[in-house]
Amino acid sequence: MTTASASVSWRRYFWWNTDHKVIGVQYIVTSFFFFILGGALAGLVRAELASPATDLLDGATYNQVMTNHGTLMIFLWVLPVLAGFGNYLIPLMIGARDMVFPRLNALSYWMIPPAGMLMIASFFAGGAEAGWTAYVPLSIGGPPGQTLWALSVMLLGISAIFGAINFLATVIMMRAPGLSIWRLPLFVWGMIATSTLILTATPVLTSGLIMVALDRVVGTHFFTVTSGGDPVLWQNLFWFYSHPAVYIMILPAMGIISEIFPVFARKPIFGYRMIAMSSMAIAILGLTVWAHHMFTSGMDPRLRVPYMVSSMVIAVPTGIKIFSWLATIWNGKLRLTTPMLFALGFISMFLIGGLTGIFLAAIPVDLHVHDTYFVVAHLHFVLFGGSVSAVYAGLYYWFPKITGRMYDEKIGRTHFALNFIGTNLAYLPMFIAGLMGMPRRVAAYDASFTSYNQWATLGALILAASTLPFLYNAVLSWARGPKAAANPWQALTLEWQTSSPPPPENFPEIPTATGDPYDYGEPSPAAEPAAAPAAG
Amino acid sequence: MRERTLFISAIVGIGLIAAGFAVATQANVMPPEASTRAVAVDQLFRILLGVSTVIFLLVEGALVFAVLRFRQRPGDDRPGPAIHGNTSLEILWTLIPAAIVVVIGVYSFQVLAAIEVPGLGPRVVEVVARQFSWQFRYPEADLATTELHLPVGQPVIFQISAEDVIHSFWVPAFRAKRDATPGQISELAMTPIEVGRFPIRCAELCGAGHAIMTSEVVVESVEDFDAWLAEQQAMANDPAQIFLTMGCGACHVLTVAATTGTIGPSLDDLPGVAGTRLAGVGAADYVEQSILAPDDFIVSGFPPGLMPKTFFQRLTPDQIERLAAFLLDQP
Repeated sequence: MTTASASVSWRRYFWWNTDHKVIGVQYIVTSFFFFILGGALAGLVRAELASPATDLLDGATYNQVMTNHGTLMIFLWVLPVLAGFGNYLIPLMIGARDMVFPRLNALSYWMIPPAGMLMIASFFAGGAEAGWTAYVPLSIGGPPGQTLWALSVMLLGISAIFGAINFLATVIMMRAPGLSIWRLPLFVWGMIATSTLILTATPVLTSGLIMVALDRVVGTHFFTVTSGGDPVLWQNLFWFYSHPAVYIMILPAMGIISEIFPVFARKPIFGYRMIAMSSMAIAILGLTVWAHHMFTSGMDPRLRVPYMVSSMVIAVPTGIKIFSWLATIWNGKLRLTTPMLFALGFISMFLIGGLTGIFLAAIPVDLHVHDTYFVVAHLHFVLFGGSVSAVYAGLYYWFPKITGRMYDEKIGRTHFALNFIGTNLAYLPMFIAGLMGMPRRVAAYDASFTSYNQWATLGALILAASTLPFLYNAVLSWARGPKAAANPWQALTLEWQTSSPPPPENFPEIPTATGDPYDYGEPSPAAEPAAAPAAG
Repeated sequence: MRERTLFISAIVGIGLIAAGFAVATQANVMPPEASTRAVAVDQLFRILLGVSTVIFLLVEGALVFAVLRFRQRPGDDRPGPAIHGNTSLEILWTLIPAAIVVVIGVYSFQVLAAIEVPGLGPRVVEVVARQFSWQFRYPEADLATTELHLPVGQPVIFQISAEDVIHSFWVPAFRAKRDATPGQISELAMTPIEVGRFPIRCAELCGAGHAIMTSEVVVESVEDFDAWLAEQQAMANDPAQIFLTMGCGACHVLTVAATTGTIGPSLDDLPGVAGTRLAGVGAADYVEQSILAPDDFIVSGFPPGLMPKTFFQRLTPDQIERLAAFLLDQP
């Protein structure tokens, strides 16, 4: 690459560009900015909760900080960063030159900065303070920022829908010759499942947000009891999207993990078809569980049991994945690189999130722990211990591909260690606080919960510190790190079969897929060098 | 070799079950069991905890073992074995979790069916939630209070409602919670089984004062309860009691009533300033108007719209008059 084209390539990240790799990086870097912002808000929350009384933030300000923390982390960090991976990787992994709709792809990215600015602006217009769940009627009577908040979330939802259409169409239309669906990398399977969920569920949230905005601005009465409206309707509309949203945020993350284990264990993925089908099963089941967030609401008591059953059944495909990953590393030749450490950390922490989900699905226990710190802990083990660990694993794993340079292993391991300790320290004590009686979303609490909260605040401090080595490593290595080979990990998926970084349009010549993407390992003497898909 | 594997599996299995049993029976992470519900819920909780402990140790143990045992040694460049799957193993780890889930599901359903049934002849207590206080009404005694008293061993049904936004009535020691939703009455049944004072907390975000929307339930002997009820009835027309019962103190400082809320303006200086706020409106009229239509005049520095506008329904004109006189007659 010449100096001239290098400087062009540096600037193109800041402008309209239809190359999926540029858009992918734009997604990832933009959402990381919001991650830092959301993290700063979490820091304020933990600082306030370091002592039982409200000393740093008053009740209303605390609610604004907490609301914007949750909204930023979900809608402007985890969702878009995973869409960023999808953008960067899907065309490369399926041997395509770009997404099927490159301009729609650029549009879906460029809706995010304005939506993010709208969200930040809402904070200064009397911020939204009804939580990311925005329950009516609290959110109807809230300050003006709540309307901007709703508009921002609507925009982000539309952006996600555009992205999902593009991912699905690209996988259906643009696969390289020979790349049958049973040869697709598992990350692509994760994105198929996630995109299906986005297309099914997001429109329901958008319609609910339009109703909230109309109630606030035009004076309609969708949710006003005295005029015949129904506040529980909002909970149904909201959770019909927002529970699947958890799977939208975890399925691509599981896909990343499934890419990393075979490469660094030097073994094929164990049970390829079962993992792929589990992703689809989670997506479909995920659409049938939303009312488990409403066990304490006024919903018809008889309706609760089916939701309990469907919620528990999700443990089965989730378990299949965890056992398959364990079997993948079993008897392997593990290379404990930074991405591998984050992937191992993913399993160990996501497991805690998954197991505590069973407690929440069991209605009698849920009636005690619902809306408590037990839920806060569960959610953060799934989304922070789970999704964010996988995002970090993916950032390190594909760093050489994206930047053409290697990151520093030693700093990467330091980052992992701080992140792992910080996560467990921050969220484990919250389980006990919740069980013992601490409600969530409180700016003050009973003095008996002090020690749990102080441990959590210490953990949050370590988590904040853990981002520094990451940023240092990423920036410095991108600028000055040693040049990366095309395939530094000796991986078999197609994105590694082109230069690092890949040229425009990805491949000098469209590759032909001839076999299993995870055909690692010493074949037993009898077996053919697998040209056939993996055994299920 | 096969025999050795079986032997190790058996040892590991026994160890795991022992650990799960120990955690389930020894862990002490719940508040006191003060209601019939609490006993049944905790039983289920302990079983879930035991099963989860076994799965947790199994998976984390396998993970740690794999990292220690299967690390690539320096100089070893060979790949691992090319094992793509094992159908019987995969069926096994689909069926076993499915069976566990079925058992847990059926048991949870049984517990749910048992705890939702009210005891014989339950006493009705209406729970009314509003920003940011609780009111408890005893229809049989025609009484409203801010402190919940219950006789031990007597079944109770709470009829829970809200006047403004959604709240959630939660007594951790009862292991029970139900949302208070505007426009509907939700029921929650149980029998308190332990004498003592237990916290009540709002579990659904309800605004700036959500964290301070707390109260207490006093579970006491039947005699103590009857005595308390009689005493409360005697106090029902006392304006200081009205002030407390209506939850005014959650948002307003009033030293004579020992309240310390800071969401709204302090009422300590009301006798001095009430007559000066609105031209041509006397002190008593100003106070009554502020109770009935709080947004007509907002003390500077406080946001409009926070104070409930429902007192015209909840108080008689006579009670409002007494309350205003009481607020203006502070020492």
